[in-house]
Amino acid sequence: MNSLVKRLIKGLIKGLAIAILSLAATPVPAQVSINEVRSPAQQKIAWAQAEIGRNPKRYQPFNQLAIALARRARETSDVNYYAQAETALDKSFALSPDNLDGLKAQTWILLGKHEFAKAAALARQLNERWPDDVLIYGFLTDANVELGNYAEAEKAAQWMLDIRPGNVPGLTRAAYLRELFGDIDGSVELMEMAYQQTPPTELEDRAWILTQVAHLRSQTGKLSEAETLLQQALVLFPNYHYALGQLARVKTMQGRHGEAADLLSLRYRNAPHAENAYSLAEALVRAGRPADAQEFFTEFEVKGRKELELTDNANRELIFYYTDYANRPAEALRIAELELARRHDAYTLDAYAWALSANGKNNEARTHIERALAVGLRDPQLLYHAGAIAARAGDVDAARNWLKQSLEANPVSEFSGPGRDALAKLPAFSSAL
Amino acid sequence: MIGYRSMIAVLLAFLVGVPPAALPSNHREAPITALDHKADITDIFAFVSYGPNQKSNTKPSKVTLILNVDPFLEPANGPTLFPFDPDILYEINVDNDHDAVADVTFQFRFVTEYQLPDIYTSVVGIGDNGANAPGTSNPVVPPQIRDFNNPGLNLRQHYNVTTIRHRHPGRGHQDFDDQGESSQLRNRDGSPFFAVPANAGPRTMDYSKLFEKGTYKELNLPGISVFAGTVDDPFWIDLGAAFDTANFRTLGSGIPGVLTDQEDSGPYLQGKNFASDTVSGYGVNTLAIEVPIELLTSTGEIEPATSPAATIGVWGKTSRPRVTVRRSPFSATTAGGWRQVQRMGNPLINELLIGIGSKDRFSMDQPKNDAQFAKFFLDPPIVRAVEALYGGALKVPAAPRNDLLPLVTYAAPIAAPGTAAGPIADLLRLNTGVPATPFEQASRLGLIGGDPAGYPNGRRVFDDVTDITLRVGVGGILAKGFNVFPNNRLGDGVNLNDADYIAGFPYVALCPDGRNRRHVDPGEAGGGPVT
Repeated sequence: MNSLVKRLIKGLIKGLAIAILSLAATPVPAQVSINEVRSPAQQKIAWAQAEIGRNPKRYQPFNQLAIALARRARETSDVNYYAQAETALDKSFALSPDNLDGLKAQTWILLGKHEFAKAAALARQLNERWPDDVLIYGFLTDANVELGNYAEAEKAAQWMLDIRPGNVPGLTRAAYLRELFGDIDGSVELMEMAYQQTPPTELEDRAWILTQVAHLRSQTGKLSEAETLLQQALVLFPNYHYALGQLARVKTMQGRHGEAADLLSLRYRNAPHAENAYSLAEALVRAGRPADAQEFFTEFEVKGRKELELTDNANRELIFYYTDYANRPAEALRIAELELARRHDAYTLDAYAWALSANGKNNEARTHIERALAVGLRDPQLLYHAGAIAARAGDVDAARNWLKQSLEANPVSEFSGPGRDALAKLPAFSSAL
Repeated sequence: MIGYRSMIAVLLAFLVGVPPAALPSNHREAPITALDHKADITDIFAFVSYGPNQKSNTKPSKVTLILNVDPFLEPANGPTLFPFDPDILYEINVDNDHDAVADVTFQFRFVTEYQLPDIYTSVVGIGDNGANAPGTSNPVVPPQIRDFNNPGLNLRQHYNVTTIRHRHPGRGHQDFDDQGESSQLRNRDGSPFFAVPANAGPRTMDYSKLFEKGTYKELNLPGISVFAGTVDDPFWIDLGAAFDTANFRTLGSGIPGVLTDQEDSGPYLQGKNFASDTVSGYGVNTLAIEVPIELLTSTGEIEPATSPAATIGVWGKTSRPRVTVRRSPFSATTAGGWRQVQRMGNPLINELLIGIGSKDRFSMDQPKNDAQFAKFFLDPPIVRAVEALYGGALKVPAAPRNDLLPLVTYAAPIAAPGTAAGPIADLLRLNTGVPATPFEQASRLGLIGGDPAGYPNGRRVFDDVTDITLRVGVGGILAKGFNVFPNNRLGDGVNLNDADYIAGFPYVALCPDGRNRRHVDPGEAGGGPVT
């Protein structure tokens, strides 16, 4: 689940912008058979390459290629496309230094690579030069959300809604902020508006939005609605890695752990990332297959540690792995400190607090988890963590309050079982009384 | 994401569609307002009121503020004509303490109703008694519309006007949560304010009667008058020449876009057109209010022209309800607030100076934040473009153009010595202590024509902001050494409105009638040459 949350967040960043950046409609190039099934990004890659062949001195097709490659990265979750996209951008800038669309694509790729501080700095520069550009506000929103600068993110997202009411990138970003601020219904409202405005030909975009709505629905325990939406997403975009991950989460909440493990296994085959191995291993634990789980935990740890110093990493999963499964709390805290130096968003604060608590630093942990929750989000995992940390710190009343809130937010979440157990173990009265 | 892509396409269309030498007339200047005609501010006027028998040097007593929206209304274009948009909040703001933040605001909101919802058109009428079904006494067509209670005025709008005196001068009170001391304007007899419809034609309505009845002067607050409706667009310009990359006509001087002394001279009322007024025959929606000066100044007094407190800054603004990232827990009372669609102070700033990639942000931001656009004010790219078009025949001042500062700060010759300059802001600045010039003596060239009561000291409906802008903004005649020929004779050749302005509130001209309206084209009588 942890990796799922992260993937969903990544999805938002890697998200809609790329599709939107492509300026021209993209008919299928003549040399591509109409019978050949290609994703929207693949079609755009082919078209851009054909354009480059025809006009190698024009910078615009290189931008379009960069954008299409970055979009393909989202479709597949294969980050190698970003390197190819950067190569295309180098050519664009060689032909036309400082061109706007190239700089926008560059910002987008920085976000995709999780270079949030650099992306925020570049987006700020671009915003000063071209304050009417809606998508640049989107980049400002994305980068600041990830860095934990929520006030700036909200300001930028509001400009998106004001300057072009009803624009899809603005709606999706505002929806995500509403979720972070604890307004799940309001988030669904905006996501549904975004879905209605996304044309049926944009299959992956529609699948992405459906997956987001399903995430929001499952976050409040509305599992059958979420499952229906995810099945629709998988019809639109078969084997879509985000939808597979979210559907697995729904299955987990339904107690169908074997099915969840199968879905995550399929996703891992399609998208063999460290964090996807971690989700799979956790699902296998729940499915009662500890030996299989160990295999993927091991694979996860090897892969995750290779990315440890990179900005695009699985450090959140590593932290939880070392606290919850491998009993290496000191290593968890070391990694959490590394991450906190880069960003202070609610999820990073949560992981840091959890690592502190695992090391017995419960009072310090409480400060950080409460700071995370002060953003407003009603995430059952964070609320459960807050309760567990308070219990360890001996504050029974606070623990009961947070644990109840976790169960109220979602009575069937992956944390509802541990939450109920923790509540049951609390003394009937506060030890302070 | 084709939804967004198509928006980008629209933006690109504007990039290639707007020539570098776009000229005044705020008709659809920014991408966002081009998509929202109803909220598009075409002009704002602010001037010391005058009457038909105005004497020179009469002490000023009232100021008239006029906000025009929704450009190029073709009065023949039924069946719905051009109602105001009930979803838009229309506002005129006044800064009286020189911080570019509103101290007094006038808000207009409209309500639409249908009197005959089964009838196919918004206005219908004939004769004194209407028309019956043949052989019966069953009325089918109502009588000619001469008042607002005639059911033939099928689509009928009434409106509310709120005046607000903000409580906290200088403290970000442009937001709507600070309502300050607000008063609702009302007719003394309790009747609503009706908006005057466009003039569909002489069979349907007696437009002049509606215009007269829709000019409300007996209100609960004495000395205030209000008017809202579709009227003749008071603006005039050779727009076709201006938007063909400043391809102005060649008149008596032999130099395109340069007038002779004879073509240029004389009071407005003695002027003549040497080129076609592209806006002729079109209507515009106007919101007008006349108020005692005491209601506008920071001191609550009529101030002499020499007093810093005499000068105010005016801007118009249109807003729509907004979707907010954060939903209010009290949405029923706050309704998520408003998003500003457009604002306007001077008649040239956004369309002439602001870069196309910044126009929407400019439209939606607050005047007090205009320092971010200073690069455009003080080094307007258009000036170099026009210089290039003249191929060396026109010398213009070098940047920074500090000679343009009186337009964007409180400065001489408009504001009295000792007036705080305030932040750089696009406000229409008016010294309320300067007496109105009698109409028959007034110059269309305002201040630069030796008429102290005209633009850029406020703006009257007949001020030729096109020629003034060409001379001041491009020709730089306020800069030392540039008040020379041809800089001080730049002009489009349109010197006169096609319809007669009224010399009293609401000062605009009557709406052309849809059946017989005339758009004057080049080559026609009164339309000047084609070349």
